[in-house]
Amino acid sequence: MNGINNPIIAPAPHFTKKGNTTRMTMAHVLIALAPVVIASVVIFGHLVILNVFFCVLFCMGFEILYNMLLKKKWNKQGLKDNSAWDLSSAVTGVILALNLPTALNIWGMNIAGEANANGIIPVYFSFDTVIACFLGSLVAIVLVKMLFGGIGKNFANPAMIGRIFLFIAFAGAFTGIYAGVGENGGILQGVTQATWLGEKFVTDAAGVTSLNINIPMLDMFFGRIGSAAVGEVCVIAILVGYIYLSVMRVIDFRIPLVVVASALVFVFLFDGLIVNTLSGMDYLRFVGMHALSGGLIFGAVFMATDYASSPKTFWGRLIFAAGIGLLTAIMRTWTSMPEGISFAIVIMNVVTPLIDKIIRPRPFGVAKEKKPKEAAANAGGTK
Amino acid sequence: MLRTFSGGVHPHGNKALSRDMNIEIMPTPPIVYIPLAQHAGEPAVPAVKVGDEVVKGQLIGAAAPKNSCNVFSSCCGKIKAIENRVLPNGMCQHIVIENNGKKDNAHLPPLKDPTPAEIIKRVADCGIVGMGGAGFPTAPKIGAKAVIEELLVNGAECEPYITCDYRIMKEYTEKLLGGILLVQKAADAKRVLIGIEDNKPDAVAAINAFIAQNKLENIAAVAIKTKYPQGSDRQLIYALTGKKIPKGSRSTSYGVLVTNVHTAFSVYLAVNEGVQSYARVITVTGGSVKQPKNLLVSTGTTFRDAVHFCGGINEENPPQKLVSGGPMMGTAVYTGDIAVTKTTSCILLMGAGEVDYHKESACINCGKCARVCPMNLMPMNLDAYSQAGMYHEAEKWGLKYCIECGSCAFICPAKRCLVQSILLAKSKTKGRKE
Repeated sequence: MNGINNPIIAPAPHFTKKGNTTRMTMAHVLIALAPVVIASVVIFGHLVILNVFFCVLFCMGFEILYNMLLKKKWNKQGLKDNSAWDLSSAVTGVILALNLPTALNIWGMNIAGEANANGIIPVYFSFDTVIACFLGSLVAIVLVKMLFGGIGKNFANPAMIGRIFLFIAFAGAFTGIYAGVGENGGILQGVTQATWLGEKFVTDAAGVTSLNINIPMLDMFFGRIGSAAVGEVCVIAILVGYIYLSVMRVIDFRIPLVVVASALVFVFLFDGLIVNTLSGMDYLRFVGMHALSGGLIFGAVFMATDYASSPKTFWGRLIFAAGIGLLTAIMRTWTSMPEGISFAIVIMNVVTPLIDKIIRPRPFGVAKEKKPKEAAANAGGTK
Repeated sequence: MLRTFSGGVHPHGNKALSRDMNIEIMPTPPIVYIPLAQHAGEPAVPAVKVGDEVVKGQLIGAAAPKNSCNVFSSCCGKIKAIENRVLPNGMCQHIVIENNGKKDNAHLPPLKDPTPAEIIKRVADCGIVGMGGAGFPTAPKIGAKAVIEELLVNGAECEPYITCDYRIMKEYTEKLLGGILLVQKAADAKRVLIGIEDNKPDAVAAINAFIAQNKLENIAAVAIKTKYPQGSDRQLIYALTGKKIPKGSRSTSYGVLVTNVHTAFSVYLAVNEGVQSYARVITVTGGSVKQPKNLLVSTGTTFRDAVHFCGGINEENPPQKLVSGGPMMGTAVYTGDIAVTKTTSCILLMGAGEVDYHKESACINCGKCARVCPMNLMPMNLDAYSQAGMYHEAEKWGLKYCIECGSCAFICPAKRCLVQSILLAKSKTKGRKE
C-alpha cells in the first residue's frame, strides 16, 4: 500500500457533520437577519444600510485589532488566523445597527434638510450616528466580548450591552424625529420615534386620558409604524428570519415562542388586569399590541437565542426564556422604561451561570438519588 | 414510530460503497501475524514454540487463567516467530505463521442437540468473543447465573460505512438464526429480539421471513430508527425494551443479554461445524479503496493484504486516513502492517473528500453536544474541565458515564476534540477512589 506513508493520525470521530462550522452558523444568522435589514431599509431609508455597514465594520475591525494586538501578530498571519472571520462579530454589528434609530442627534453633526409640516427632519448623513456606532461597537466587542475571552465567553449579548450603553449615554437622542430620505410621507412611517409602548395613553379633545388601543394591528405587523429601533418594526420580516433559523436548526424554535408567550401572559396579568382595566375583547387587542410593539419579537428571535449568554441545557433555556418574558412584563408595566426586553435579556444573561449550575441533566440510566437532604447537599455531582 | 433512544446524530451512512457486495472468502495470505490479545482482558499465553508446525484451528494461544480467551491458528504452516507488534490499541505479542497452503484442520466434532452447558463449553473452547468491537469473551457472558428475560441481538450496525453484519444477516440468515437459538438456549432467554436499523429493511424482511417459514416462536426482528449510536448496547436495550441501564452495572442483572450478529454466527459455526474463532467478516471500504468489499478474512491478515485483495488503493484519491473500525469510533492507524483481529469490523481508507480536518476553535456554547449526547451528559463541561486540568470536577459532571461514541465531536460546530479531552480526563482519574 504505497501512498499512505503519512496518514493523518487523529482521534475519532474521523468525520464530522459537513458544513457545520461556527462560521456557517453565523452565516445562517446573517441570512436570517437579511429580511429584517431589507425591510428596515425600505421603511426607514438609506441611513439604515449605512448604520449596518459601519457597525459591522467597527465590530469586525475591533475584533481583528484586538486579536492582533494581544497576540502580538502584526502581520498577514495575524490577519489570517483572526477569530473575527468566524463572522460572529458581524452578527453583533448587524444586530446593534438594527437596534439603533435611523439617525441620532447628539452633537448636531448631521447633514439634514428642512423640517416638513409634521416637524420631521430628513437626514442625508449623520456623523453622530457613525460615532455612536463606533462607541457601541467598542463596548460590545472589546468590553463585553473580547475582554471576557472572545466568542462563547461573553457574559451577556454584546449587541444588547452596546445598545444599552448608547441608550443610557444618549437617552434623549434615541427618540428623535429624524427620518431617512426616501420615506413616502405618512405621519408615522419612516420615522424613528417613540413606540406605542411609550405613548400608550392619549388625551382627547375633552382632556380625558385614555388607553390608546386603536393602532391598526396589520400596520404594526408590516412595520408601518414608528419605533425607536429600526429592526424591530417589521414583524413579518423577523418571522421570516425566525422560520429560517428554526428550519436550519440554528436556534431551538421553542425558545422564542416561550419568551413571547411568557411575556404576553405576564403583560396580560400585570398591565392588563392589575394596572389598567379594560373590557372584553379589548384585552386581546391590548395583548396583541404589546406583542407587536417594541423589540419583543426581535429580541426573542435574535437575542434570547444567543448561544454564549443563554443556558446550555434545554430546561435551563426554558427557564431563561420564561424569565425574560416575566421581566419584560414587569418593566413594561411598572418601570419608567416603556421597553423592557433589552434589560430583561441582560438580567437573564447574568442569571445564566446560576441556571447552568442548578440545572444538571441526569446521566442516562442513573436513578434519582434518594438520600437525606444533607447527604445530597454534600455529595454534589449528578443530581 | 420506530423505537429509538433520545439524542444521537445522523451521520451520512456511506454504506452504498459496499452494501451490495457479497461476502467473499479471502485466501489466507502467505504470512499471518496472529495477535494474542484479540479480546478484552488478559492476553493469551503462547501454546506453541518457534519452528512448530500448526494446522488451521489449532490452539496457539491458551487463555490466561483469568479473564482471557483462546487464540487459534488461521492457517496451516510453520511458526516463524513470536514477536511484539502493533495493534490499533497498543503493542502485544503476535505469533507469526508462514502459511504452507495445506487444507488440514483441527476442527472439533459438531455437537448434535447440545445442552446449555455443552454450548457454553464449546463457545469457551472455540475462543469466541463479542465481535461487535468490545471483545468480551462470550462464554462467561451467556453462562452468567442470572434470569434472562430478553436476548437482544445487535444488528443495528450504526457506524457509517460498515456493512459486514448486514451481509451476514442477508446471506447467512439460516446460520445466524441457528446461532441465535443456540445462545438463547444457553442463556435460557425467554424472548429474542433482533434490533436492526431501518436502513436495512431487506435484512429485517429476510430474518422475519425465515422466522415465519420455520414457525419460530418468541423471536422477532425489529426495525429501529437509523441513528448513531443505536448499536451501543445501552441505547439498543432502551430502544427495544425500554429498560434504562446505567453504565457500570451489567445488563444481565436487569434480565437482558445483548449479543452481536457476528457473535451469534460464530456460535453457530462453533457448535454445528466445530470451527474455532479464527476468521471473521470485515468490510474493506472507503473512497480510497479501488473496489470496496465484504471479506471473510483469517485473523492475522494484515490490513495491507486485505486492501490489496480489494484491488489496492485508488490512485486518483489517495487515502489520507487509515482507520481500523468505523469512522465514528475507530482508531486511526499509521501503518498497513496491522493484523485483523476477532474484533476488527472494518478497514476504512478515507480519501480527500471524506476526511475533514479542522482546526479546533473556541466553544461557542451552542449546546448541540448536550442535545445529541445519548448518555445525557454535558460534553462541553467535561471538555472545559478536562482542558483546565480539573478532572475531579469533570467526574462530578458524569465523566464515567461517557460511552465515547463521538456524537458530540461529530456535531460540534467549533470542531472541539471533545472525545479526546474526555478520554484524557478518564485516564487521569482512572483507578482513583471516588
